[in-house]
Amino acid sequence: MLESLFDDVRRMNKRQFMYQVLSLGMIVSSALMIWKGLMVVTGSESPIVVVLSGSMEPAFHRGDLLFLTNYPEEPVRVGEIVVFKVEGRDIPIVHRVLKLHEKNNGTVKFLTKGDNNSVDDRGLYAQGQLWLTKKDVVGRARGFLPYVGMVTIYMNEYPKFKFAVLACLAIYVLVHRE
Amino acid sequence: MSETAEAAKINKWDGAAAKNAVDDAIREVMTGDLKCKESFALIDGRLFLCALAVGVALYALLWDYLYPFPQSRLVLIICVSSYFILMGILTLYTTFKEKGIFVVAKEKVGNNTRVWEASSYVKKHDDKYNLVIVMRDTNGNTREASVTKSFANFIDVNGTVVQNIVSNEITKLYHSLSSEKKEK
Repeated sequence: MLESLFDDVRRMNKRQFMYQVLSLGMIVSSALMIWKGLMVVTGSESPIVVVLSGSMEPAFHRGDLLFLTNYPEEPVRVGEIVVFKVEGRDIPIVHRVLKLHEKNNGTVKFLTKGDNNSVDDRGLYAQGQLWLTKKDVVGRARGFLPYVGMVTIYMNEYPKFKFAVLACLAIYVLVHRE
Repeated sequence: MSETAEAAKINKWDGAAAKNAVDDAIREVMTGDLKCKESFALIDGRLFLCALAVGVALYALLWDYLYPFPQSRLVLIICVSSYFILMGILTLYTTFKEKGIFVVAKEKVGNNTRVWEASSYVKKHDDKYNLVIVMRDTNGNTREASVTKSFANFIDVNGTVVQNIVSNEITKLYHSLSSEKKEK
């Protein structure tokens, strides 16, 4: 069975095999280019994020998929849900803007809090950081899809499973001729 | 020859696999028995387009890594749009230029060069293998022959391509296309 799986590959000539490799490359590239294209369109470095915690319940639950935009001309306002990064933490946080100070020259500093948390986020920020600024913002939530992100969460909780699935798909594409 | 024929054992119920196996057998005949020289320009063109597209994507990835997003915006715009344009060109290339041609072979007859193009297609859930062979020579003659036969004619009960039958079929087509000129 396994042997017959690779029969196709063994029979391929050099060019056919190169095409198989390039097809796999193009599938990965297409996904990558769609992602990068979304980045350009939304202006956010990560236009789609998954909510990982329950800190924004009942607005967002663990596993919700969020679509973000980050247009520089749109001002941040109190009450908006922003996704921001904190130095020293890899994972961006989705929380609501609680207080905001805007200067005449357009610079802003703001404080955030999770709807479901009892205290504001100062404890989460980097040591000594009291406010967030525009450069910390990854994007603002524009829409969401419930539950879809659970797949990503499970995949990240079981990295071996994720790599196994990806490897199987890659091998399938590689050995299967259209 | 017999070695390759032996290796080509496929799942005969898989239409795509059967088509590929018969295509390969025909290529063997064209370039082996009939002593034509395979020309790779057509497939190389496709490989080039694919490689270029993947290269553009890799370049965008690298650039975005070196100069994180807001800085890399312009390069990303260029890369993403050229990637999708390349995909469009690739689709046009395979549908209008390749048109299912799986082998292009050249043959010198005196001072005349004949170019043979074999293309095939199989309809979904159909056992009929449709083969079209086109011959062009430097005198401007273009002749075409096509055969539609069930896979059962080329593949035996075990799923092995019967090279002899394919060879006979192709040789027959080859001679009829080669000699047609004399009859005219």
